[in-house]
Order: sequence, then C-alpha cells, then structure tokens
Amino acid sequence: MSTSIQLDHVSKRYRTGRSRTVVDLVASSVDGWRGRSQDVHSATRGRIGSIIHALNDVSFSVPQGAGLGIIGRNGAGKTTLLKLISRVTWPTSGKVRVAGHVVSLIELGAGFHPELTGRENVYLGAGLFGLTRKEIDRRFDDIVQFADVERLIDTPMKRYSSGLYARLGFAVAIHSRPDIVLVDEVLSVGDAAFRRRALEALRGLIADGKTVLFISHDMWNVRRLCSQILWMDEGAVRAHGPAGDIAERYMNEVNLQALANQETALQSHRGGTGEVRFDTVELVNQTGAPATTFAIDDSLIVRGTYSAAKAVERPVFQVAIVDVDTGVIVTTASSVQGNVPATVQGSGTIEIRFGRLPLRPRQYVLRLSITDAHQLGSYDQVVAGPRFAVTGQGGGVDSLADEQDGLVSVPFDVYHS
Amino acid sequence: MHELSDKPERISFAAYLELLMNLTRREVKGRYSQSLFGAGWAVAQPLAMMAVFTLVFSRLGQMPSGGAPYPLFAFAALVPWFFFSNSVTSGTMSLVTYRNIVTKTYFPREIVPLAQVASRLVDLAATSSLFAVLLVYYGAGGGRWMLLTPLFVLLLIVFTLGVTLATSAMNVFYRDVSPVVQISLQLWLFLTPVAYPLSAVPERYRAFFLLNPLTGVVEGLRAVLVFGRAPDWGVVGISAALIAAVFAGAFVLFKSTDKYFADVI
Repeated sequence: MSTSIQLDHVSKRYRTGRSRTVVDLVASSVDGWRGRSQDVHSATRGRIGSIIHALNDVSFSVPQGAGLGIIGRNGAGKTTLLKLISRVTWPTSGKVRVAGHVVSLIELGAGFHPELTGRENVYLGAGLFGLTRKEIDRRFDDIVQFADVERLIDTPMKRYSSGLYARLGFAVAIHSRPDIVLVDEVLSVGDAAFRRRALEALRGLIADGKTVLFISHDMWNVRRLCSQILWMDEGAVRAHGPAGDIAERYMNEVNLQALANQETALQSHRGGTGEVRFDTVELVNQTGAPATTFAIDDSLIVRGTYSAAKAVERPVFQVAIVDVDTGVIVTTASSVQGNVPATVQGSGTIEIRFGRLPLRPRQYVLRLSITDAHQLGSYDQVVAGPRFAVTGQGGGVDSLADEQDGLVSVPFDVYHS
Repeated sequence: MHELSDKPERISFAAYLELLMNLTRREVKGRYSQSLFGAGWAVAQPLAMMAVFTLVFSRLGQMPSGGAPYPLFAFAALVPWFFFSNSVTSGTMSLVTYRNIVTKTYFPREIVPLAQVASRLVDLAATSSLFAVLLVYYGAGGGRWMLLTPLFVLLLIVFTLGVTLATSAMNVFYRDVSPVVQISLQLWLFLTPVAYPLSAVPERYRAFFLLNPLTGVVEGLRAVLVFGRAPDWGVVGISAALIAAVFAGAFVLFKSTDKYFADVI
C-alpha cells in the first residue's frame, strides 16, 4: 500500500512572547554600549520571549487509507503536526511529504462569514479547500443534506446556532474530495446525533481509501475510528502503534497522573451554609487501605469526617458517583440507610460502603453534600470531590468504556431458542 | 495515485478564480450589509473631497486646471486615488484580519490581499459612473483618446496590487506598517498631481514627481478623459516601468515570506 503522509526528522520551533519594540531594541543596544550585556534584565530586553520547540525530530509515516489517532496532552504538538501536514505552516527542519489533496478541519467553518448565507458560505468554504464552482455545484445537495440545513440555506449564517455552523463546516470539508482529512478535536461542538454521523462519515472515508488523522481526547472515538495511534508528548513521538494498546497505556498514565495530583483537601467548589461541613473525605478499598483505583466489582468505602459547630438536627449525608461526561450515576443518602443520630454536634465520621462497584472502567468523581432533613437546604456541597478510576482486567481494547457502552455492568445471560 | 510531495498543493486556475471571487464577495457583502447607503458611501468620499478641493485650491488658491472645470479636473484624479488609497488601507490589514483562515487552512495566500483590491473595483465602478455623469454635465470628454482609458485603469490596478501585496505581507511581521501606510497615504495624496496639474510643479521638482507611478496614471487619465488629448507618453512610460518593477518586487517579497505568515500572525 502506498504512503500517504511521511515525516522525516521534522522539527518546528516558534518564538514566543511579545515581539520586540523599538524601545526594547534601543534599550538593549544602549545597555550593550555601556557594557552591561551580562545583566539579566538587559539580556531579556534584547531578546524577548524564548524559542519553543513545538516538535522535535518527529518521524512517522501513514499508509493510504489508514485512520491514525493523535493523542497527547495539551501542548504536546498535535495541532502543530496537523498544521505542518496541511501546509499552513512549514517545518524549521526536516521534511513533510504528503500525497494528494489535504482538507483540514482544524476549526469547523473557519472560512465562513456570518453575513453571508449558508449557500454562499458553502461556495466560500469549499473554495478555500480548492474546489471549483462546478465541483461545488455537483456536491451542493449532498453537503446541504448531510448538514441538514435545507430550511436555512438561504439565511445569513449569523442566524445559525453554533452546532449548525459546525455541521455545515464539517459537511463542506468532507465533500471537498479529500485524499487526506485532518480532524482536530472538532467533533465536540455538535450534538450526539451529529457526532455519530460525523464519525460514520469519517469511517466511510477511510473505507474509501482516504487517510484520516484524528486528534481527540476521547479515547473511545479515537479507537472506533483509528487502527493506529500516535502518542505525542512534549513535541516528540512517545509511542506509535495499534490503537488498543496505545490508548490503554495512555489512559492508565493520564488516570494515574490525575489521581496523584488531586488535592486531598476539599477546598474547591464548596457550597452550602456551613453549619456542618466535611473536613476530609477519603476512599478506602476492601483491604482497608486508601486507594484511588479500583477494579470492577471491588468494594469502595467513602469515609468522611465532618464537624458541626452547633447542634444540627437530622442532617442527611449524600454521596453521588458522577461521570464527568454524562452526569450522576449513583446516589446515596443517609436518610435512606444507616444510623446517623438525630442530632449531630462536634465532629464525627461517616462511611458509605459500596459492597460491589459494578462500574465500567473509567474515571469517576464523587459529589458530596450534607443537607437538612427535607433535603431542601444544604449545609455543605462538594461538587468536585475525590476522583477514582475503575480499571479493566487485563487491558486490551475493551478496558475503556464510553457512555455508548453504558457505564454500569450488570450480570446477564443470553438464551437462544 | 498521488505521489508524495513536499511542495504546496497546486490548485487549478478555475478554483483559484472561484476562491478569489468568493472572498471578494464576502468582502463586499461584509462591507455594505446593514448599511443604508451601501456602495453610495464609496461615491460620497471622493465627492466630498472634490468639494473641499474646489473650495480650497480653486476658489481660494486659484489653482490652474488646464482650462477644464476644476471640479471635473479634481474628480478625474480622485476616482483612481481613492481606489488606490482604500485598497491599500484595507489590503494592508487583510492578512491579519483573515488570521482565522490563514492559520487554519492552506490556500494561496495572495488571494486575500487580491480580494481586497478586487472588492474595491465595485467602489471604482460606482465612482466612475458618477464621473461619467459629471463628464456629460460639463460637456467635456469625448474623442478617440478615451479608448486609452483601460490602459490607465490596468496600470492603476497593477500598481495597487503591487503596493497591497507588499504592505500586507510586511504588516504580518510588523504591525507598524499599517500606521506608516496611513500617514504615507495622507502625504501621498498631496504629492500626486490630484489637486493640481503636473505642469504647476516647478521644473526642479519634476523628477521627484515622476518617481511616483501614480503621476503617470492620474495625469494620463485626465489627459484622455477630461482634455481629450494624447497623454504625455514619456511620463506614462516611466510610470509603467516603475509599476512593473514594484509589482514584480512585491510579488517576490510576498511569495518568499508567505510560508511564515501562520507562525507570526
């Protein structure tokens, strides 16, 4: 199979910071005459900003018809990579070679003008991707149909919602007869139905032998679309290989880092009137040791210490397990279960014990609150409490779940007759 | 199948034109939408300047106008002048204004300043129509020399393109270019024979005026349209040569710097 994209020892350096003004130039040369160039202050005046190595000796190649996911933290060089491949910018050293027509979706509808109608913007946007009027004429109906904007096509785009704007931008891009499509985290704008259609369309392009490079933080989408993943880290290739393996390694590292960095104190995002407050909250595993990662069906104990300055009658302690993307998964309240005394004062400890955690592998966050007996007013609210991760058994593709798979694993049997 | 290449992608001439047309349309629509007078404002600008010039230079200053009615004499030069001046002003800022697409998609970058100049052709058409009305009103013009008008319009457009390409590219690197252009244009208007004829310039300063390519354009247009006579071919020749040189230099400057635009813009 022929090669679609090839990078050989590509480096890209940027100068950062503000550019020099005449005042800076004069000041630094005056300092130079007075022999003060060793002075730190003077040195920075002469050379404001520093060089950033956005990419460092990056080499890889992508065969035609492949889907390559590009992952990594913010600032790892992912977007710079796409900009180099799309010729928006050029490497400082090394060689970037591509075969065929490149269409980049670094921002959906970047070329659109709000005063122009949808129709005019289709011609403008597709023109930016190098299409002639005839070519656009032929694809116009498909574009409009894909974006589902028949009704508004002759309305100025300033009347469009942001989702619609993105939809039309995406539709124009994928219909611009690309050989290579570069997608940069743009599917986060639309609604779920559009996201699914967009992914479907990208998959169709790959099936047709087009090459798709896909930047996303959503491992699930990356894995659904791409057979290979390029993991970028600080401007260099950290790993390049089969999607399942790399995604697994990446997510493990991200989860571990996030858990290691989380604050044990509960200062942020506090609400409530404050008569009773949580002082500490910790997560404990079945052996009684503090933990942040759990396996499916492990038990989890949420142990909170609280203090109440004055006597508070019948407080309700609540703990919810929240999935950051989709919302609350499980709620618990001490009013339903448990032996909380009718009046609390001073300090105490409360434990909520989940005997079995039937959650799919993913990262979760706890939301804690203490409310009055009727659960109308709240004394304390910890919107973003401690995080924990549920890890898969063994690794492999299925060890990371998505809301599409559901987040709770319930035992089931299948019968066929 | 496609070969691997490290060259920028070539787009067809038809696609190039299509993109130029669409960016021009975007520019014109953006400029005049939600404006009551629309392109009328393009006409108001030289008209107001004509009135002021007539009062100051003709009435107060007794400026000669070679026998033609002074308002017509001034307007004939203000039409090309404002085309040039407005194109360069918005063209200088154009790449920065279009930062959003310059940093996100690849396309031949010169289309952005070209579209600015092209969009001012709409204004030029409007002011030229008014000029035609004035010609009829004053009963001036006519004659076979008018057939040379397209030559001068071509020179005007090529020169405007050249200056705009250069200033827009430089403005990407140094935003100082824009204010410098502003001030230069203000002075340039008075150093071009717009309010006065070249013949009113003392002999010893003539050479300096001939270094200004707009001198040949303005004087030439006035000769063939207002006075109905042959242009001074010497002046036109010098201007044409300068215009060709400016355009070539500007184009080379633009194309040799445009791969850095997205990095510094």
